[in-house]
Amino acid sequence: MRGPKIVAAGVMAALALAACGGSPSENGSAEGGGKGEFTYWSMWRADEPQAKVIKAAIDRFQAETGTKVKVEWQGRDIKVKIGPAIAAGKAPDLWDNAADVVSTTVVTGQAADLSSVFDSQVPGEGKKVSELIDTKLVDTLPKDPSGSTKWLVPYELISTGWFYNAADKDLAEQPKTWDELIKLCDALKAKDKPCLASDGELMWENFLTLDLLLVRDNGAGTLAKIFEDKSGAGWDAPGVLESAKRMEQLVKGGYLIKGYDASKYPAQQTNWAQGKAAFLSNGSWVAAEVSTLVGPDWKMGALQIPPTKGGNTEVNVSLIGFSVPKKAENPEPAKRFISYFIKKDNLEKIATEAKNITPRADIPAPAELADVQKQLSSNPVRPVLDNLPREYNQKVLFPAFLEMWHGKISAQEFVAKAKEAHVQYWKTAG
Amino acid sequence: MTISKKRSPLRVAGLAIVWLIVAADIALLIWIFLTSLRDTKDIFARPFALPTSAELGNYANAWGEGGFGAAALSSVLLAVVSSIAAVAISAPAAYMLARRRTRTSNSITMLFAMGLGVPGQVLLVPLFVAMASVGLVDTYTGLNLIYIGLALPFTVYLLTGFFAGVPLVLEEAAAIDGASGVRAFVRVILPVARGGLITAFLLHFIGSWNETLFAIAFMQSDDKVTLPVALVNFVKMQQFNGLDWGTMFAGMCIILAPMVALFAWMGSRIIQGMTVGIGK
Amino acid sequence: MTATLTPAPEKAPRRARASSGASRRRDSGPLERQQSRLFWPFVAPALLVYGLLFLAPIAYAAWTSLYRWDGMGEMEWQGLKNYWILWNDPNFASSIVNTLKILVIGGVITFLCSFLLTLVLREMRAKLFARSVLFFPNLVNAMVFGAVAGFLFSPDGPVNAVLGWVGVETPPKWLGTDNVFTLIMATLIWTATGYYTTIIMAAVDQIPPYLYEAAELEGASAWQRLRHVTIPLAWDVITVCAVLWTVSSVKVFELILLFGGSNAAEPPMQTWTTAVYVYASVFPTGSVPKLGLASAAALVSLVMVGLFTVLLRRLMRRDPIRY
Repeated sequence: MRGPKIVAAGVMAALALAACGGSPSENGSAEGGGKGEFTYWSMWRADEPQAKVIKAAIDRFQAETGTKVKVEWQGRDIKVKIGPAIAAGKAPDLWDNAADVVSTTVVTGQAADLSSVFDSQVPGEGKKVSELIDTKLVDTLPKDPSGSTKWLVPYELISTGWFYNAADKDLAEQPKTWDELIKLCDALKAKDKPCLASDGELMWENFLTLDLLLVRDNGAGTLAKIFEDKSGAGWDAPGVLESAKRMEQLVKGGYLIKGYDASKYPAQQTNWAQGKAAFLSNGSWVAAEVSTLVGPDWKMGALQIPPTKGGNTEVNVSLIGFSVPKKAENPEPAKRFISYFIKKDNLEKIATEAKNITPRADIPAPAELADVQKQLSSNPVRPVLDNLPREYNQKVLFPAFLEMWHGKISAQEFVAKAKEAHVQYWKTAG
Repeated sequence: MTISKKRSPLRVAGLAIVWLIVAADIALLIWIFLTSLRDTKDIFARPFALPTSAELGNYANAWGEGGFGAAALSSVLLAVVSSIAAVAISAPAAYMLARRRTRTSNSITMLFAMGLGVPGQVLLVPLFVAMASVGLVDTYTGLNLIYIGLALPFTVYLLTGFFAGVPLVLEEAAAIDGASGVRAFVRVILPVARGGLITAFLLHFIGSWNETLFAIAFMQSDDKVTLPVALVNFVKMQQFNGLDWGTMFAGMCIILAPMVALFAWMGSRIIQGMTVGIGK
Repeated sequence: MTATLTPAPEKAPRRARASSGASRRRDSGPLERQQSRLFWPFVAPALLVYGLLFLAPIAYAAWTSLYRWDGMGEMEWQGLKNYWILWNDPNFASSIVNTLKILVIGGVITFLCSFLLTLVLREMRAKLFARSVLFFPNLVNAMVFGAVAGFLFSPDGPVNAVLGWVGVETPPKWLGTDNVFTLIMATLIWTATGYYTTIIMAAVDQIPPYLYEAAELEGASAWQRLRHVTIPLAWDVITVCAVLWTVSSVKVFELILLFGGSNAAEPPMQTWTTAVYVYASVFPTGSVPKLGLASAAALVSLVMVGLFTVLLRRLMRRDPIRY
């Protein structure tokens, strides 16, 4: 039963390789490329907008090239399945996910290098993939064992920010500095309106503000530096305490929505969407999440944490894209599909239909994310939380942070607690 | 059955507590059902209100796009087959382990009991590697086998308890009548232990009906996912695309309905089986 | 079938006791010989399936626990280092503490509730109905509890509203991170009580009613009937239940994972049990899986269960009951 299957797969792979090797490398375009087939595991469910966009592109790709694509709409739990599948030699030829999920297969050397995709021509556009996707985006990815970051071809961008209703007259003026932001919060407080909504149990979303404050006060890569110094000395830098104190200021200043420390997601997010608080710290997907909850006159705006002392205006970015496992049996047709999908008339549907930002600057983001796209293109970008392993966040950053966020400990105590957990982390991380 | 006519205050309080818990359980069920008829915005505006209009669209969404319809079939298939097989394999073993108190028997009993404490997730990777090597990943056979294996410690342990309560005199009588051991087991013991068997079957049925971890890892094709996996998949869409809470609750109702129906019907059967089977 | 059985129970227990005593004396009556012949044919299939699908994977896991392994690449020998890591990881320690809280505190409360319910249920009208309803929360997906708690206990939710009417100005922060674990325990006790009440009631139903009638004639209170009739006679099943609780409490994990809601993130550390610890090491989001460490943690919980089970059996051992 299994023998013939493997032989068949082997033959297919050989055919695919032959087809690919046979055609001149300049002719890497999909049209006229060799036939073949590949399997694709999607992080989307078949009825999600992204899935519909990708499905349509796959249909066209199959019709134009004769390549057969076997799709499984796995949904988000693909992250649970991909490891065992790779271990068992059942990996798909193509899969997609957020970069932090894909990166677990990268650091273990299980992801194929996609440089050839970046160097390939996007069919019908006369340009290479690398010319259409800003390299600064891919540069935010962690390096694979060979030092390259070209193991993911992004098709959707996620950013973060303080989101708000731009139609709200109280929020007409954008604060340019941290102090102005606090002033705005004070003004709102005077009107009995909380400045920031937050579901207190959420760690990642709430930490985002401190994440960016560390950058504003200390420059990009501060968290990574703290993380790498196993002694924990990084926590002692005065700038770190300074950022923590700004967080304390937010908490102690009474700017947070009442009951934020005693609610469960999505209670306070819903309150925010109903206009009961000005801002919400979150990822840019929040626009889609609350689209059915907000009123008809809601206009989504995004505010980046303003600079504290000039410069350091980095904006968070996180990528969702395609990856090819190293053990894939038919990597070549899968790679051809990736460059095919980057074609404008495919990719722009991610913006127009799936309502998300694409990595191509020439595709305008949907209206609700226009602010975010502008911020991404006009500022340097950085990876959220400096790509730290989530285990570190879970064990070191978040527990101490939540205590401070809930007003139980001071900024000094936060730094001390985090440092202690940091030392413990490295003791056992071996 | 005689019911005590004395009504001490303590008893009244006890009754009140029982009915209070019963009422809370029923309220929960009703709330889940009512919420499944509402749309997301409405749910969050007033979580405990009645639906203004019945949103049957939630059910259509769940059944179709949510994939609950296709998943229902997989769930039925897996839960029925694995529960029957697990009880069928466990019953003879449990019977023998309950009857024979030799050193071998005791250590085997202990061995099964220890299996109860193993978190299922420990077995996940070894089982996946093993199943993949014999080509059983993404097949009903593979997942059924796993469910049977996972059920064994519990089922054997539970049934051992039930068989221990069956009077030995029954086999003695059967043996005197000249019935073989197998015959006595099938014709005499099993009917008496019917209540236990049905309980074991039901508990395992519920367990596999709601099992998520292995179903997620082992069933990869869209047409083979089970109901809880469909629910998890649906809920996980919340990340990046937001969640349609009304449809989610409709999905939960689809998962719950057969359970409630089954328990309403079989629940009294178990109890009847136990009381009648053993004779009063 | 029932007809043939009708006369049995009166003599049965006494005889059963006599014979079980006899079997210890290696009596080799025809029945004994028959059963010894059938022992392996009866036990082997279950043992085989169990060995293949359960024991072999555990052995594999035990072997894995001596390695560093991401589940995809090569395994790297590291001896007992994984156990050393667990010993030094404060998060594992807190996971164990949480597990023990569920096991001991949760267990005591659950069984107290179950006995009280049994006490009342046995003698009430509509007991079949009540019993079925009590079991019902076991059928409900853990996420529902998370969602319901989120609505019920939210700062401006119904619970606080009721407290407000009776004059509580500053209600507790029900859903604050410190209280989440307590809420999870409460949910667990609620569902488990229904579960164990069902099983214990099944055993109680096997107790001949005349014993209760006799007790009542002698003026025994409900409590005395529970103490002198119900508990001793259902003792075997209660022992099974206690062991079941021990082992299932070590496995509690789905509820914790889902209670925190449908979020992509792992639940907060304060709520982790050893099972969650294992799960999070096998399926971390955005970190490399640590299958070796996970296996080691799983084996530690396995040993814990073993110890508790032995202890429980010691404590609960009793002479068989005569009646």
